[in-house]
Amino acid sequence: MGEIAPEMEISQYTKDKASCTRISIESYYSKRVTQCAERENRLKKLEEDISARGLSDEEKEEKRKIHHSKETDYLRLKRTRLTVNDFESLKVIGRGAFGEVRLVQKHDTGHIYAMKILRKSEMVEKEQTAHVRAERDILSEADCDWVVKMYYSFQDYSNLYLVMEFLPGGDMMTLLIKKDTLTEEATQFYIAEAALAIQFIHSLGFIHRDIKPDNLLLDARGHVKLSDFGLCTGLKKFHRTDHYRNWPSTLPPDFISKPFESKRKAETWKRNRRAYAYSTVGTPDYIAPEVFQPNGYTKSCDWWSLGVIMYEMLIGYPPFCSELPQETYRKVINWQQTLVFPSDVPISIEAKATIKRFCCEAERRLGNHGGLDEIKQCPFVKRIDWNHIRERPPPIRVTVKSIDDTSNFDDFPDEDLTWPTSTLIRPEEQPGRRGEFVDFTYKRFDGLTQKMRYSDLKKFQQAKKNKKGGQQGTSD
Amino acid sequence: MSEPSSSWCNPMAVSTLGSGNLRDALKLPPGEDKNEWLAVNIIDLVNQVRMVFGVLCESECTDSKCPSMTAHGRQYTWTSEGTLLNTSAPQYIDLSLTACQNNVDDENVFPSEIGKQFPTDFEERCQAIMRRLFRIYAHVYFAHVNHFKAIKALAHLNTSFKQFVLFANQFQLLNKEETEPLREIIENLISFS
Repeated sequence: MGEIAPEMEISQYTKDKASCTRISIESYYSKRVTQCAERENRLKKLEEDISARGLSDEEKEEKRKIHHSKETDYLRLKRTRLTVNDFESLKVIGRGAFGEVRLVQKHDTGHIYAMKILRKSEMVEKEQTAHVRAERDILSEADCDWVVKMYYSFQDYSNLYLVMEFLPGGDMMTLLIKKDTLTEEATQFYIAEAALAIQFIHSLGFIHRDIKPDNLLLDARGHVKLSDFGLCTGLKKFHRTDHYRNWPSTLPPDFISKPFESKRKAETWKRNRRAYAYSTVGTPDYIAPEVFQPNGYTKSCDWWSLGVIMYEMLIGYPPFCSELPQETYRKVINWQQTLVFPSDVPISIEAKATIKRFCCEAERRLGNHGGLDEIKQCPFVKRIDWNHIRERPPPIRVTVKSIDDTSNFDDFPDEDLTWPTSTLIRPEEQPGRRGEFVDFTYKRFDGLTQKMRYSDLKKFQQAKKNKKGGQQGTSD
Repeated sequence: MSEPSSSWCNPMAVSTLGSGNLRDALKLPPGEDKNEWLAVNIIDLVNQVRMVFGVLCESECTDSKCPSMTAHGRQYTWTSEGTLLNTSAPQYIDLSLTACQNNVDDENVFPSEIGKQFPTDFEERCQAIMRRLFRIYAHVYFAHVNHFKAIKALAHLNTSFKQFVLFANQFQLLNKEETEPLREIIENLISFS
């Protein structure tokens, strides 16, 4: 029996990285077995189909050849290296802390997508490479109404790219800026849809941790889809707990000496809202207090964020907003005293009670134990038809004139739409050269099958046949 | 300096992720082009090694801790334009992974256009990549097994190496002499599947 090695000193950074990488490796092997089974099923289905149709042996063999050729092409297409030059950049539709979102069109298919561009240097510099694949993993696994669908992900030396479905309805932040507040009926609808989306993410084993209005997108019919899963989570300075380590957590003076009228407060919030979303500094308005504590947090933190959004929808600003993020932090930590409702804004008893049940200790929080089933029992959302909400018309109509209509987004008129050539030149030292971004590339099956049309396949086979004929060998 | 723990030779210690049917998942599917299957799997193996080493082990494998590229009974040197270089393990691995990635990215070796043919020496290219990847596993198992235990990723290391070995055996991409440094662990991994 060998001597046990002394316990090695391992940094928290290494532990976090190891944890995420273990998940990625486990996910890979799970998918590997799944893909094998899927391929077998496709072949089995083909055999059943050609048997049922009473085809001749020659016709059957032809069908098998076409099928095998498609499978081979699929393997090759999985290896095709996408670059930004496969897309035309049409418009900048959003800016985030670490990149931007563009409306793009794929050259070969003409399909419209939203492309999110994230700078690698920001990822590595902030030592958050362990989070970098979280969004990619969730979006590649998710295939349902509640989550933005991702078709491709790829990288070059400077950036990571996520190519997702374009949602022309804009986001909840933009809607709130336009509307100031929502009715209770509208709030019930959007909170219910957001709850269904959050529950779906939790069922996949993820915690979003950055639920806020800018991450709630609206599709062409006005329904909610969740976006932004962790790629930037924890990156913003004020979202990281170490930033607050030396700060006092007592009540902020803002709370005592500056009791704004709610209307003035709402105007201040609205005026600063875009800057907060675009800032690399950010603000902890939507973050649950336990996220800042050393004891760790659970999925429950996402339900807190939903309560903050609900308050903002009804009142016009989030409950802990302040002139400075430091003051917001102190209000969040002291939520027992600072979560108050202004007397001059009408709000129902049920709505107040619901917000208080979302924004309380994690153990007592609405959704903490029973998740969505617990939330469904809440009086505020008792009139929601949970099983058919997505088929119902939304309370606020989204106007979309075409598949590339960007009128529900802000304009960025001075943005340069060309692809910078520097991203295609290999620098001596690249961010992430040690493998932090390896295996980022992804292609969704239906995204690929859109490209390989039957007519292209016929052309391809004809070319193959001609080539074989030219070699003067026997065919096959 | 004490010899690294030899518990990795103990069959009961060869834990994996319970990846049933991994062997079947690596077999050439009916009707599939062999080179295409080699290509897509080689890329997966390169990516696995980059994750296992580049993310899980890079903070642990340093010039000072691993001044040379060592494995059980072996020391590997990097050859550059006919000259033998005495590199540290991290330098060797960086050069090795870069060479693998350059091959994978080379359109003339791993063509990605539909209809473009593989080179006639494609299988030899794959064998060279497999040799490079094997040496990285050999070093990691020799020098860093305790680190993988400490970060609770030994099963992940074992599973990725098992995939590597099963694939190499399936298509005869490594010779017996090259794999000698890890013969015992290979036998244990394979016998458990």
